[in-house]
Amino acid sequence: MSNRPRITPVVSGSALAHQPALNDAFWKLYGALWNRGVLDHRAKEIARIRNARVTNCGL
Amino acid sequence: MTWLGRTTAPASLGSLLALRPELLDLHRDFYNKLWNASGVPPRLLELCRLRVAWRHDCRSELLIRHPAAGVSDADRGALADWHRSERFSDCERAALRLADQVPWQVGDIDDETVAALRRHLADPQVVAVMLALTLFDMHCRLRHGLGVEPPETAEATNAALGTLD
Repeated sequence: MSNRPRITPVVSGSALAHQPALNDAFWKLYGALWNRGVLDHRAKEIARIRNARVTNCGL
Repeated sequence: MTWLGRTTAPASLGSLLALRPELLDLHRDFYNKLWNASGVPPRLLELCRLRVAWRHDCRSELLIRHPAAGVSDADRGALADWHRSERFSDCERAALRLADQVPWQVGDIDDETVAALRRHLADPQVVAVMLALTLFDMHCRLRHGLGVEPPETAEATNAALGTLD
């Protein structure tokens, strides 16, 4: 797996910034998942870290 | 059979997401922007969606149709063996290579695979294609994970999720 970005980041190190409208919509959805969810943050963070491990995502 | 409770209608992905209305609304907005405001040809997105669904063997996703995307029945049939088909452009073939890897081999995507797509699309479009592939992948995982049944009509599912304008 590559550890170098394949797309040149344009804002704040995020490739998503190439698509401002999508970036905005994505972070609204992701923010709602984290902050307005019915699961506690600990459960979601454990799932996030486990998912990153399973997919070998060191970024 | 879905794992979640329901009333009478078959469980669609939209109806299950509606258990969390605020997430459904934000998801629909994200999905619609991807199709309508990303600058990626709808046909390319549709081919990616179908190929990801094929890799997941996700019947409920495969049954959905987006006629406005311009993917014919012959195209759909050829997707199973797209490597040998002449129906797809070089750009589409580059995207399909990525679509093949995102579901189960995402860590094996190499620089050349992404570079091949960048020879045909600008970086914003490449970003949108990758976002689309991961979103389509997520839909298949949601459908399998929650036991979502194939829709009685594709239109019903599209209406629940948001679709092409």
